[in-house]
Amino acid sequence: MTTAGEARLLLLGWNFRTAALSVRERVAFSSDEVREALDRIRGEGLVSEGVIVSTCNRSEIYGVSDGSETNAHLTRLISEWRGLDPREAEAGSFYREGGDAARHLFRVAAGLDSLALGESEVLGQVRTALRLAREAGATRAVLHRMFETAVSAGKRVRTETEIARHPLSVPSIGFELATKVFGDMAERTVLVLGAGETGTLFAEQAAGAGVRDVRVANRHRERAEALAARIRATVVPWEDLPRALPEADVVVGTTSSPEPVVSRADVEAAMRERRGRPVFFLDLAMPRDFEAGVGELYNVYAYGLDDLREVADENRRRRGREVPRAEAILEEELTRFLSWYGNLAVVPTLNDLQARLAGLRDAELARLPEEERERFRAFADAISAKLLHEPLRRLKSETDASRKLDRVEAVRHLFDLDS
Amino acid sequence: MASHLFGWLAVAFYVAAEAAAILALVARRGRLAWVTPALIAVGLALHFRDLLVRARALGSVPYRTLGGSVSLFGWMLGIAFLVLLMRHRERAIGPFLIPFIVLTTGAAMLLPDAVSAPSQGTQGALFAFHVTLAILAYAAFTFSFVLSLLYLIQDRQLRRRTTGILFARLPALEVIGRMNRTSVTIGLTTLAASLAIGLVRAEMLWSSLADPKVAWALITVVVYGFLLWMERRGWEGPRVAVLSIVGFGVVMFSYTVVNVYFSQAHRFR
Repeated sequence: MTTAGEARLLLLGWNFRTAALSVRERVAFSSDEVREALDRIRGEGLVSEGVIVSTCNRSEIYGVSDGSETNAHLTRLISEWRGLDPREAEAGSFYREGGDAARHLFRVAAGLDSLALGESEVLGQVRTALRLAREAGATRAVLHRMFETAVSAGKRVRTETEIARHPLSVPSIGFELATKVFGDMAERTVLVLGAGETGTLFAEQAAGAGVRDVRVANRHRERAEALAARIRATVVPWEDLPRALPEADVVVGTTSSPEPVVSRADVEAAMRERRGRPVFFLDLAMPRDFEAGVGELYNVYAYGLDDLREVADENRRRRGREVPRAEAILEEELTRFLSWYGNLAVVPTLNDLQARLAGLRDAELARLPEEERERFRAFADAISAKLLHEPLRRLKSETDASRKLDRVEAVRHLFDLDS
Repeated sequence: MASHLFGWLAVAFYVAAEAAAILALVARRGRLAWVTPALIAVGLALHFRDLLVRARALGSVPYRTLGGSVSLFGWMLGIAFLVLLMRHRERAIGPFLIPFIVLTTGAAMLLPDAVSAPSQGTQGALFAFHVTLAILAYAAFTFSFVLSLLYLIQDRQLRRRTTGILFARLPALEVIGRMNRTSVTIGLTTLAASLAIGLVRAEMLWSSLADPKVAWALITVVVYGFLLWMERRGWEGPRVAVLSIVGFGVVMFSYTVVNVYFSQAHRFR
């Protein structure tokens, strides 16, 4: 691949595949630490631009550098700062250059490098990384463009493939199944039994998905109230459960009760009151919260943990099948970015600029009588050469790689060399 | 036999609409949402040209030839489809309903156009309304039938925990049920209107209503009327779907067996 002058894209990273947790937690940076790290690595002159992506599963330093052995310098700087054994830090790290560094970022943004394939959270984290770096004044043309392209590539992958479509977590699978019965969930009533971890997860999921009427029932009322206050749900007193049942379209069991808390007879009674309108029971409790046989009743759809885990496995396989399509999209975007990046190179820009001037010269010469052309050509060439001499010398001798790229881009823009 | 150039063009547009509907569903391209209704609308306009040609040749609404009446039926399917689409904004159903428009219209272009001599009472605006409304009712009931089958399929997949490609693509049960309700409402309204016009005309022409077709139409009205009434009372679910399918069975029986073997006034001539 073509690089701009001597500047190289590079990536030094530690992730859940390469580094032990003990290393990863040392190189995990908070927002403030990201800023500090960017200042340090730029202050030492290791990179001219830098962006750091730091999440619980990865810490990755992207940079543009024209020095040599930058990875070794970076590793040493980071391990000294974070109190890590440099050998340990190096053993757990991975290093990429040029197009491979960009490709890695694109895969990260698309969720292809995540533990949960296709997860969407990482896209926001990549965006945050760019924002932090920009605020710290650590990005210029190259990394800015690279990260923006990576984010839009990540979005494309998520909309054009199924990789982020099939939910993997048990509450979200349960919620998706419920939408297959009821369609729009906004006007439905969701009743969550239990205000523990799972109950909270599901209640939050429902409220976040726009369900306006979420109700929480818990044996200990205070916990239900705490949860309800947080997501604007209502509290159903535990004793009122039989009365609350017929009003709920979706009932989720997440209690730790050793006995079922809803019996088949309860559901039969509720269905009579509902006049048979469909109801969705989701049993996320262990042991079960709903008596066996509830799902056999007319218009009752009942799912348990095992059903949902099966769906989760199937969904994981489905996401996996989308990887080739996702990679094709990434390669397309990567090619676009790399060709832009290659265009930033000084030499092609000089050639383009000279060709542009030669074209203008020839167009003007063509209007002159034949016998005068030779003379004027020499004249025009002399003027062009004099005019270009100083700007080109400065452009070539610029030592800061990123600034050099910025300027090359400015030249391409001002002389309209890309049209 | 006429060339049916416009009719075949209409079929081509319907096929394109089906392709667009499948593409929009599989590729999940939201931007393509308007393509399917637009193609259907163009198809309907071309199709209408073909119906006009047939109508001019016959001097009446083209129901007196097999090709003509089937073509009119296909056109009404298209209209009903657009109504459903606009009412419910659910494009996932397109790939399942449009093939019926394609097949019916295509068949209509191939079926014979032999014109029989107009028999007594098959002229005039009232009669045209009677037949046209009845055909629209059949079209709506056809979609109700297809939607009910889809409902039962989706219900079965939910219960068997099969979450395959069809499961992911089909709309929610509630949406299918709602679309079915719209179809039945259209069908019932137009059938009742057609029946009323028919009764008025029969009274005027023959001063007699003793046609078996009338009885079967009444049974149809009762079945679908019961269905809508029960739905108003909160009846939802597979039972509604099953009853819709039963209703369509009655429609088919009255359209075929009753027409051919029992009814004097409604036999294809």
